[in-house]
Amino acid sequence: MKDNSITIQTSGLVKKFGDFTAVNHISFTVKKGEIFGFLGPNGSGKTTTIRMMLGLLPPTQGSIEVLGIPVPDLITDILPRIGYMSQQFSLYNDLTVAQNLEFYGQAYGLVPENMGSVIREAVELSGLDGFEDTPTKDLSGGWRQRLALSAAILHRPEVLFLDEPTAGVDPISRRLFWDLLYELVAEGITVFITTHYMDEAEHCHRLAFIQHGEIIAQGTPTEIKREAMIGDVLEIDTNQTEDLIKAIYEARDNGDNRSLNAELYGSLIHIFSTQPKQHTKYLQTLAKGADIKINSISVIEPSLEDVFIACMRDSDIGGNHEE
Amino acid sequence: MSFRHLWAVIRKELLHILRDRGTFLLVLVTPTLVLLLMTYSLAVKIQHVPIALLDYDQSPTSREFMHQITAGDDLDLYENAASMEQIEDLLIKGKIKAAIIIGPEFSKDLLAMRGLSLQIIIDGTEPETGGFAVDHIGWRAESFANDILADQILTSGISLDSLEPIDLRIRSWYNPSLEPRIDIVPGLLSIVLGFPAFSVALTLAREHEHSTMEQLLATPISRIELLLGKMIPYILAGMVNVIVIPLIALAWFDVPFNGSFLEFLLLSAIFLFAELSMGMVIGVFMKSQSAALALSFLVVLFPGFFLTGIFFPIAALPEMARMESLFLPGTHYAIITRGVFLTGIGMDTLWPYAIMLVILGAAFTGTAALFFKKKLA
Repeated sequence: MKDNSITIQTSGLVKKFGDFTAVNHISFTVKKGEIFGFLGPNGSGKTTTIRMMLGLLPPTQGSIEVLGIPVPDLITDILPRIGYMSQQFSLYNDLTVAQNLEFYGQAYGLVPENMGSVIREAVELSGLDGFEDTPTKDLSGGWRQRLALSAAILHRPEVLFLDEPTAGVDPISRRLFWDLLYELVAEGITVFITTHYMDEAEHCHRLAFIQHGEIIAQGTPTEIKREAMIGDVLEIDTNQTEDLIKAIYEARDNGDNRSLNAELYGSLIHIFSTQPKQHTKYLQTLAKGADIKINSISVIEPSLEDVFIACMRDSDIGGNHEE
Repeated sequence: MSFRHLWAVIRKELLHILRDRGTFLLVLVTPTLVLLLMTYSLAVKIQHVPIALLDYDQSPTSREFMHQITAGDDLDLYENAASMEQIEDLLIKGKIKAAIIIGPEFSKDLLAMRGLSLQIIIDGTEPETGGFAVDHIGWRAESFANDILADQILTSGISLDSLEPIDLRIRSWYNPSLEPRIDIVPGLLSIVLGFPAFSVALTLAREHEHSTMEQLLATPISRIELLLGKMIPYILAGMVNVIVIPLIALAWFDVPFNGSFLEFLLLSAIFLFAELSMGMVIGVFMKSQSAALALSFLVVLFPGFFLTGIFFPIAALPEMARMESLFLPGTHYAIITRGVFLTGIGMDTLWPYAIMLVILGAAFTGTAALFFKKKLA
């Protein structure tokens, strides 16, 4: 191993399915002991990237190293040292909780002498005490998700790959799931996680935004907010959000302030602006003209969601994809 | 190859067989059930075929003839008809399957050695039964005529010993009474043992459908460990059938078992390896259970019926089909089962078929492993 602090490194990674480029020259580095978030909308290439790192798909071009070992050439050396939780919690519904755990334990070569204690630990970790003999199909989504995570870490992997582990899980279960992840990271496990939940991105140590198979921004959440975002966010509080957004876009269609983009943000409106002062004045005039009452306009620190949407819009305007 | 990995998959798969009701039925119950059903429906012995008689001769000879015709279990006299119209009516209503019309010159012609003036009408909508009736009436008529002729010769003072007619006697070995059931049960074994092959195809497709395949491939379990681990439990389940079905055949259908049971078990295990490898190839290519099932019917079940020589002799097949039948494990196993059950031959005679099965199994498993890699790696 050249550098002990680097767990995953990819460079110039490309995956093509026929004419379609699913992943286009992706390079990133994941450091030991961090949670690296891979954030992007559905179909942006997250799962394809994760499958390439696990040796399930051969890359069309580029290189991958996991734990300093090249993938997919020497994937069999790596598989025992990593854990993976695929998109649908891959458990066997007809088997019980304990049988599922035992299977994955054996699959990862746990010796029979340790099996009992390892499974007891895993059951405790997922909070399924007393449900060992329950068929997995009788568990709710949140429990299944925690069981799948426990199964993926039975063998104490050095790296954990999670592909949208929280999709379709209720907020409380998601919260518990992240608490579990932090416990694992505290033990020294490196986590690579894909998600399309913006609030989860804030939990990651470092992230990459991916869209149409390309990374459009990466770094720590703070770095991304500082560097990737061009301009500021204006937060508008009004009781007539829809009317105001309509007015902004109507004015834009008539040639006014073409770069102005308005997004609904809860009951508020967020506007990405490179000239906040002029735009504040402009918006106030516009609102007055349309007879819309604005309670307040303020320049705020952008959230990751703001940054992500701004980045996606920029890359779309750049016209990097063919659609 | 790690035995811990292999055992992990085998154990999981055995749990699936026991826990999943559909798989359990398909693997452990369906083979026996289908065998019973098919034996009863295919090997029915035709008996008590109702016939009618229209006797224009009304002589003692014709009455004696009729008496002999219906003396056995095969043909029953339903009606002594009075006219052709009545016979037609009985045929249309399905009351009789054949009718015998005895000509007015029947006894005269017979005694004058001019042949038999006899007409047989059969219900052509049931050619099997009709053909059966024609055969049996023919045999009876022939022996009846021969007896009369022998009497004639004797009365005219010629010694029978001076005549040397051709005496052709057909003897059927190993199944002396030519009972169709005896022949069909060992043959059917090779068809019904195809059902565990269905399950192998389905279990692989199910991993794709429930997207557990991706998870499996990310574990250190190798592809060949996975394939073998999936196949071995179904071979074991198939062996349960291999033990149960002969017991049923012996007890229920009085099928003889002349060979060695141990050799039969060994040869059956080899056959299951070949047959289930075929299921594995299907499972590797088909990513959904419905597609795997459809292809299993097409590749395992139907050729099993038509190309393995169980119902239609392989020699009668067109050349292309004969070639194909060589690649079906069932063809070789049908020869083995018939040999072991009926003839009582063993490994010393059947080894070429065993070798052929090993070759087929290795080729199918190799194909599955090769394409399994390409499809997902």
